[in-house]
Amino acid sequence: MATLKEKRTCGQRCEDFGHFVWNSDEGKFMGRTPIRWLYISLYYVAFYVVMTALFSLAIYVLMYTLDPYKPDYQDRLKSPGVMVWPDTYNDEELEITYNMSDKNNWMTKSKILQDFLEPYNDTIQAQCNHYNCTSGKYFIQHAFDAPKHTKWSCPFYQSMLGNCSGIDDPTFGYNTAQPCVIIKMNRIINFLPNNGTGSAPYVNCTALEGQDNVRGYTYYPTNGTLDLSYFPYYGKLAQPTYMNPLVAVKLDLVNQRHAVIQCRVMANNIAHQNYYDPYEGKVIFHLTALS
Amino acid sequence: MNKTDSYEMFVEMDKMDGDMDVKIKKKKKQKKKERLENMKKEMDIDDHEITIEELEARYSTSITKGLSSRIAEQVLERDGPNELKPPKGTPEYVKFARQLAGGLQCLMWVAAVICFIAFGIECAKGEIGSYDNLYLAITLITVVVVTGCFGYYQEFKSTNIIASFKNLVPQQAMVIRDGQKTQINANLLVVGDMVEIKGGDRVPADIRIITSQSCKVDNSSLTGESEPQTRSPECTHESPLETRNIAFFSTTCLEGIATGMIINTGDRTIIGRIASLASGVGNEKTPIAIEIEHFVDIIAGLAIFFGFTFFVVAMFIGYAFLEAMIFFMAIVVAYVPEGLLATVTVCLSLTAKRLARKNCVVKNLEAVETLGSTSVICSDKTGTLTQNRMTVAHLWFDNVIHAADTTEDQSGQSFDQSSETWRALGRVASLCNRAFFKPNQETVPIPKRQVVGDASETALLKFTELTIGNIVDYRARFKKICEVPFNSTNKFQLSIHELEDPLDLRYLLVMKGAPERILERCSTILIKGQELPLDEQWKEAFQTAYMDLGGLGERVLGFCHLYLNEKEFPRGFSFDADELNFTTSGLCFAGLISMIDPPRATVPDAVMKCRTAGIRVVMVTGDHPITARAIAANVGIISEGSETVEDIASRLRIPVEQVKKRDARACVINGGQLKDMTSDELDDALKNHPEMVFARTSPQQKLIIVESCQRLGSIVAVTGDGVNDSPALKKADIGIAMGIAGSDAAKNAADMILLDDNFASIVTGVEQGRLIFDNLKKSIAYTLTKNIPELTPYLIYITVSVPLPLGCITILFIELATDIFPSVSLAYEKAESDIMHLKPRNPRRDRLVNEALAVYSYFQIGAIQSFAGFTDYFTAMAQEGWFPLLCVGLRSQWEDARLQDLQDSYGQEWTFSQRLYQEYTCYTVFFVSIEVCQISDVLIRKTRRLSVFQQGFFRNKVLVTAIVFQLCLGNLLCYCPGMPNIFNFMPIRVQWWFVPLPYGILIFVYDEIRKLGVRRHPGSWWDQELYY
Repeated sequence: MATLKEKRTCGQRCEDFGHFVWNSDEGKFMGRTPIRWLYISLYYVAFYVVMTALFSLAIYVLMYTLDPYKPDYQDRLKSPGVMVWPDTYNDEELEITYNMSDKNNWMTKSKILQDFLEPYNDTIQAQCNHYNCTSGKYFIQHAFDAPKHTKWSCPFYQSMLGNCSGIDDPTFGYNTAQPCVIIKMNRIINFLPNNGTGSAPYVNCTALEGQDNVRGYTYYPTNGTLDLSYFPYYGKLAQPTYMNPLVAVKLDLVNQRHAVIQCRVMANNIAHQNYYDPYEGKVIFHLTALS
Repeated sequence: MNKTDSYEMFVEMDKMDGDMDVKIKKKKKQKKKERLENMKKEMDIDDHEITIEELEARYSTSITKGLSSRIAEQVLERDGPNELKPPKGTPEYVKFARQLAGGLQCLMWVAAVICFIAFGIECAKGEIGSYDNLYLAITLITVVVVTGCFGYYQEFKSTNIIASFKNLVPQQAMVIRDGQKTQINANLLVVGDMVEIKGGDRVPADIRIITSQSCKVDNSSLTGESEPQTRSPECTHESPLETRNIAFFSTTCLEGIATGMIINTGDRTIIGRIASLASGVGNEKTPIAIEIEHFVDIIAGLAIFFGFTFFVVAMFIGYAFLEAMIFFMAIVVAYVPEGLLATVTVCLSLTAKRLARKNCVVKNLEAVETLGSTSVICSDKTGTLTQNRMTVAHLWFDNVIHAADTTEDQSGQSFDQSSETWRALGRVASLCNRAFFKPNQETVPIPKRQVVGDASETALLKFTELTIGNIVDYRARFKKICEVPFNSTNKFQLSIHELEDPLDLRYLLVMKGAPERILERCSTILIKGQELPLDEQWKEAFQTAYMDLGGLGERVLGFCHLYLNEKEFPRGFSFDADELNFTTSGLCFAGLISMIDPPRATVPDAVMKCRTAGIRVVMVTGDHPITARAIAANVGIISEGSETVEDIASRLRIPVEQVKKRDARACVINGGQLKDMTSDELDDALKNHPEMVFARTSPQQKLIIVESCQRLGSIVAVTGDGVNDSPALKKADIGIAMGIAGSDAAKNAADMILLDDNFASIVTGVEQGRLIFDNLKKSIAYTLTKNIPELTPYLIYITVSVPLPLGCITILFIELATDIFPSVSLAYEKAESDIMHLKPRNPRRDRLVNEALAVYSYFQIGAIQSFAGFTDYFTAMAQEGWFPLLCVGLRSQWEDARLQDLQDSYGQEWTFSQRLYQEYTCYTVFFVSIEVCQISDVLIRKTRRLSVFQQGFFRNKVLVTAIVFQLCLGNLLCYCPGMPNIFNFMPIRVQWWFVPLPYGILIFVYDEIRKLGVRRHPGSWWDQELYY
């Protein structure tokens, strides 16, 4: 064992390493002769080609079994998420703070909403979703009646948001203490709010903090209803032009003009108490208007 | 070699040792040199040469009155108590620290530090997105500390077993102080004290004998000689070790009485110096520690290579430098096999436990494997190979040499006892014997009973008790009339008895002694019960027998008797023992009995097994060459038909110089020759002669022999029991001490202790050591494999930016929870082939982890496992709505905590938390894939060469249990409520368990093909590249 334990100098170690890299006596490079390197490389190339082929086959089979219209499982999407615009964050929390006397400042908020509403432009919607939907009823389609083997989607016009549509008031109220926020519920394939009982879900906002600072909530469309005709969603392939229905809320801030608002989509099959997902069925945001 | 030489060697070697030890700092070196100088000076004692008056003056004492108590007290204060200082025990915290500083442990410490750094960087950047790095660092440290505690506990336990063997009864000594005889504790004795020793006592210190009455001591623990040595007041030699008037500390007085003056106490005694020599010898690193270091080198090299490659790739893709740096660190850390340390520790302690059940206690856990790598065993003779008990081995009567049963338990063949001559010989042997059993030992087996008497009389007493029966009765039937004890001038002992038959009024004279002296006094010889005249022919027969028995290294005694003439010596005749007023010649020769310290019964078989296992057994003893050789031949260290150079020379009738050394298989070298040999010559001798016996060696020479073997690349085991073996025990790669016969010094220096003193246990040790080496290889291969499927998700995550497929906590669960039990269960695997018929591994070639093992595990099996994981990952993602192509490049959006409506392939919108739980689902799915593949992996690792079908699927019950356990634990992790938010495990769909199954089958089939190729075409390219 003595030979294995000898303390070798750095020079000797380098020499050993050099000898390992190129062993001129046996014509070995890094412990193998070139021909053996060739063989082993070929072996590995073959091995990985076979493995990659098997893997590709597996993925191909997987894709083959998938339904292009709806996912096999929706384990994580039992209940839709809800989000608010303008979606400005301060660290972890949604915080909409604007200075109504600073034009540049409030313009950023209204710009976000304008951009967000762009696809909902009445003309665009009229072009791509020109189906006349019956409101107040689920829009259940079994057949692909729409052109190009798709299904109809109901249009959602920007103008349906009334005072918060940005058509009349492009500032969305951000130059005053009555800002608009837009609430959107995430879409989930085949999700029927209220389990198909026929009553429509609606948005309800409350102040969790600073109740005294909020004088009132005005919902657009009326009552903050998400019309049943937008449900169910049939997926990107079946409904390529589908747009989520929106609800705009105009808040009337008074006193300190600060509040923590929770906007919840009310439906009996939309959860809102998941501790681990704060955006499930509701959205909470800080709203502050500075002057 | 005489002892002066050995003693000089002692000092020389010490110097050499001191010179060689360059590593020690200068200060320390100087101190050591000083100490050695002192040692040398003290060795130059002349206390045995000067007259008693001078001695009295030197120690201000008196041989009649002893020391005065006052002076004794002063001297005690000056010299300290008379006991061997226990070797400086390593402090407990150092022992513990050592557990935390092995090769693997260092790797894990470095990884933990890297984790902390990465965490620090993340903190500084202000993104404390995940605490993974912190958790990882803490886990790594926990693993090191916990396994450290485990290892420490194991060692602590075995130390306790050993400690319990220590003799706790304080020794007493009879001392003369102030003219009074008193009994005091031996550790209070001081230089100049007058002490009295008698048969059975342990000599309490180094003593100059002043008066003695047939005092004999047993020096076997010091020199290895089994024969008792006479001690008398005369100075017979200038060397203190050789002279007769010094008795040494810790040797035993066998018989007689002596008084003497203490000239050295405690650590200054000869034995103390040998013991302290052992503490000067450095401990060797165990082979397994070297292997693990080599393995860590491989791991570290691969980790840095991979880390650096992907660092460059990351930089190239366009990551920021700091981010790329964190990737680099994460990859390096991911390469650390967290579970391996625990696996290795547990495997080793399992084997240690198994050995302990077979009476081998291992002091250092790593030493468990060492025996398996051992290629040379240097064995002491006395007490290790032999019983350290004189026993009758042969008898010569009726002109035939009969072999007696020398086994410890009397299970051997006995000789033919029907002859009349035997009856006569047995009668002489029983009657002409002064030894007797100590009382109250009726229940003890005869060979183990304690006897009062010298070694050869003891042997004869036990022998006759066994063959004839109750000797006390027998002797009572032949009433003893007169007795002449043995003395060195007569060299015989005789006694005269009445006959058993009351009608026969003759007296019987029985005599025993040195054979040639006995023969001189005989005129007839007893053959088959007939008294024949002792003519030249019989004399020659006697000579041949005598030479034969002497050549066997046995001590031979002659026996004769005579019926005294009834008329000349009528009843009532007063025999005078001093005057010898009776016939002592013209006797009738009965036979010869020879005695030897016989080998233990199990030894020849064990030596044989060692030989089949390719292990060389070398005898290194302090005893005489002839005895050593005889025992060596007896136990098979020198095999039948092997000749030494001298044998060949005498057979061919040519001078020794002309004999080709290579022709002689065997070689006996005594200490004297060894002293004149250079280390190269010794290496040559060890190379040229496969069968070696070293006789008359000093403790230092044992050390030289061990070093020489180690120089030749062997891994050396040393067995021994005496203090004289302790330096060699320490120097050896593994020192094995005897638990019962072993001295404390030997036990302290050893790494392993045989509780039952059974040399055959070593064979078990070798077998277990080899098995654990093989099985560790399998365990490591199993553990390493999953490193790749744990690493590739991260690599793909960096390069292709898919959502992370496998999280850090999940990896820790694989490493430290689910896979630990299966990897440990491989330690229970039976050997693939008859490992005891293979040569010991070549420490330079047969590494624990070689390139083939690492490459095969990482780049083939590991790769298949990765493919399995990714297949399952993409399946889970796609079935939940995320197609593979969408996943690519998705990472930045996926991980954006502010994006609550990310669209999947179906247009559905996901919040961040929903995506996170989907990611956990992926972790779980990847985890399940690795588990399923690891089940296949553990099955293929059962064998390296044989087909698993040949080995048997269910023979290793522990492994089957482990697989069941692994599955249960996996299910528990997946489906236990609360897991998603604690450990990021999601309850996954059942079919995802089966996605990796084809890959598992592929692994199994592929490995069976590999093994088939390896078996069918040994030595082929396939074998070389794919056999690990």
